[in-house]
Amino acid sequence: MATNTRIILICSGKGGVGKTTLTANLGIALARQGVRTAVLDADFGLRNLDLLLGLENRIVYTAQEVLEESCRLDQALVKHKQEPNLALLPAGNPRMLDWLKPDDMQRIVAMVAEQFDYVLIDCPAGVEDGFKNAVSASKEAIVVTNPEVSAVRDADRVIGLLNTHEIKPVHLVLNRVRPKMIASQEMLSVDDVTDILALPLLGLVLEDEQVIVSTNRGEPLTLTGSNSPAARCYSNIAKRMQGEDIPLIDPAKEGSGMRDKFRRLMQTKIF
Amino acid sequence: MTMEQIIALPWRRKADWRESLPGKLKKIEKGPISIDSKDWLLRCRDLTKIKSLLEKSGLNLQRIHSLIPETIVSASALGIQTQLIVEQEVQKNQKTETAQSSQISPTIYFHHGTLRSGEHLESEGDVLLLGDVNPGAHISADGDVMIWGKLRGTAHAGKSGNQKAKIAALQLRPLQLRIANQVARGPEEKPENGFAEEALIASGNIVIQPAST
Repeated sequence: MATNTRIILICSGKGGVGKTTLTANLGIALARQGVRTAVLDADFGLRNLDLLLGLENRIVYTAQEVLEESCRLDQALVKHKQEPNLALLPAGNPRMLDWLKPDDMQRIVAMVAEQFDYVLIDCPAGVEDGFKNAVSASKEAIVVTNPEVSAVRDADRVIGLLNTHEIKPVHLVLNRVRPKMIASQEMLSVDDVTDILALPLLGLVLEDEQVIVSTNRGEPLTLTGSNSPAARCYSNIAKRMQGEDIPLIDPAKEGSGMRDKFRRLMQTKIF
Repeated sequence: MTMEQIIALPWRRKADWRESLPGKLKKIEKGPISIDSKDWLLRCRDLTKIKSLLEKSGLNLQRIHSLIPETIVSASALGIQTQLIVEQEVQKNQKTETAQSSQISPTIYFHHGTLRSGEHLESEGDVLLLGDVNPGAHISADGDVMIWGKLRGTAHAGKSGNQKAKIAALQLRPLQLRIANQVARGPEEKPENGFAEEALIASGNIVIQPAST
């Protein structure tokens, strides 16, 4: 196994905060920087990482067949059509949940890690078996949360569990930040969140309608070279993961300049 | 009723549990069992290993006794019942173990680290926590609860009925406070930074005041 492969779990506790979207966008952004990246869907019950990447119709085999040894790993890995550095290992069918054990997960991740520099594991929501399986195979983690009380509470619980599993380092990504609502104190501020979670902040992602559009199209924002706010945030996070020193955006200054207003206007579709 | 079966792991400086545990399992009858893990720091991985070792011998791990709070936290994360043993009790039961000299008064239990949502630290005697208690976490003690950090979760002092127990923290903004059998919600307004506060029972109610001692 390549010893310097980074195996990163992307988890949140709460559902719907943007784990899968982050996994897809980071996967593409990292691949565009030229590193071999695999994204692994550990959400066996409700898989949709393949949808976001637009690879749904290319899946032939899944992790399940690899574990049963009815196909080879490279048959199951789906290469991205535009970014050959990125490959997806799809989750098996939901019935697989019953028999999948942490050992199986470790086995398959070790196999994937041999061929890639980064392995991103998209963790299911919750802290039950699916989470435990995914954690057992990971070395480090990115916790995704939103500036909401319930998402922060669940993230806190998950960080506690990651600590007991000796996952290090654990970084934080604050997703769906709305600068206006923070300014009017209707939303938790960045400081409120980091004060409770006490983790190093890997990045902020601004709330952006383009994310929904790109999800529905199956083309992650970082792929299309879009200059929308969220796309910039995602590529900054990928650069920071590679060790580049890029300052965090300041939500107070975001979106207030003339240029940003104009850009927003240009992106608004009237017809 | 049958006696609860306990397997005691060896002290850390005497022997390694990984070597001694399999031998001990042979003498035990099938059924539920508790493990006294003494001063071993056991992570989830170790505990899962112990659990599967026990299951192979037809034993069902019910409870972990430990001196180490981290072990307790790991065990409760795996859904195993836990019991934290304080130093004093150990010295009482095991007079031969006097080599373990602790400088701190044995009735104070000391824990280093933040308690996160869903975690629960329970202690006999007083407890001193160096770190925060986050929302959703729970800390309780028979004596006083002292927190060198922010209390944002739930704290219970004097849990066996001691009315004189206190809760003190550098920043006291709890969800709920309990002293003996009294319950109070945390204050609505945020306290000023930089003033340690304490909660105690005065004329039948829980009151918060600037920390005096």
